[in-house]
Amino acid sequence: MIAITHIGTYLPENRVSNLELTEKFEIDENFIREKIGVVQRSLKSPDEKASDLCIKAFEDLLNKADFSKDEVECCVVVTQNPDMNIPHTSAIVHGALNLPETCACFDISLGCSGYVYGLSIVTAFMQANSLKKALLFTADPYSDIIDPNDKNTVLIFGDGATVTLLQDNYPGLVSLGFDFGSKGASYKNLTNEGVLYMNGRAVFNFAAATVPKSINKVLEKLQLDKEEISRWYLHQGSKYIVDTIAMRLKLKPERVVFGMYDYGNTVSSSIPMLLSEDLEGIAVGEKVGVSGFGVGLSWASAIFKKK
Amino acid sequence: MSKVTVDQIIEIIEKAHLVKDANALAHDKPLSEQGVDSLDFSGVLFNIEEVLDIEIPDEDIDRLQTINNIVIYINNK
Repeated sequence: MIAITHIGTYLPENRVSNLELTEKFEIDENFIREKIGVVQRSLKSPDEKASDLCIKAFEDLLNKADFSKDEVECCVVVTQNPDMNIPHTSAIVHGALNLPETCACFDISLGCSGYVYGLSIVTAFMQANSLKKALLFTADPYSDIIDPNDKNTVLIFGDGATVTLLQDNYPGLVSLGFDFGSKGASYKNLTNEGVLYMNGRAVFNFAAATVPKSINKVLEKLQLDKEEISRWYLHQGSKYIVDTIAMRLKLKPERVVFGMYDYGNTVSSSIPMLLSEDLEGIAVGEKVGVSGFGVGLSWASAIFKKK
Repeated sequence: MSKVTVDQIIEIIEKAHLVKDANALAHDKPLSEQGVDSLDFSGVLFNIEEVLDIEIPDEDIDRLQTINNIVIYINNK
């Protein structure tokens, strides 16, 4: 049985305050704290690439998990801001970490839904090929594509990376079921044509309408009641969207994890970033829900159980 | 679709918990001047679209600053 056993994370030390932008964008501190939910954003240095962030997250993983690099059989990077178009960033990470030549490497091009998709893909890949250990990286440094004058995006996104260690036959979080979907006809609402463009209203409407349905669908498929889920890790798009989804699903607020005040929306890293803080504290038998949504427009929801 | 009323719009806003007291909103004053920020306003429009099963294009939003404007706009659609 494949389980999430450890998660390493990396956030650049440099922070940029949103409170300094209140006048420029004619907003107040309450809007920043209670609606956006990002007081300061983590910012990488201009010369740091996605692979550099991944390597830093891996260093954190080594401090948390007892394993050898030589045992890694699969290395996957979720990113849409790769170091370069050719080769795939996972190959660069593979080389930098000196992983074995027997290790499979590939990238997954997805945004905020990417971590949940990645968990399903990597788990299935491991099962199909009898692999024992895999690394699932997330790193999407949006600071490279943000227009500093665009109120719709500059207040939200921060840089960061995570790496999830998936292992066969280890105690950890095991997937019970997933739900996936796409609205490709609406892709133009969130694009990168040199700089990031986001139609905030369209993306909000999509998330508010689609994510509750997706979560209900996966619960129904597993014949679970939402009361049986002890914690929800929703993609941290903004505090407003997390609160809206939680309210529409009538989730207990104390079960909905929120925590991007000090670094921002780290795209595919937002869910594992929060999960890493709680992973050890999740009790055997406890179930948690995750849902990622965004670019595509795309979504993925899943339920995991600690075994 | 039958004509929508001011009370229906206020009821939609109230049920969605988008403002502290939806009944206290003035009908002829911009919502932005009554504590409804840009994100709340997106929420208002989303709930109206969902409940009334209509679509409000982005280019029409500037015409929808007050509750009265919203009612007139929907009834003329």
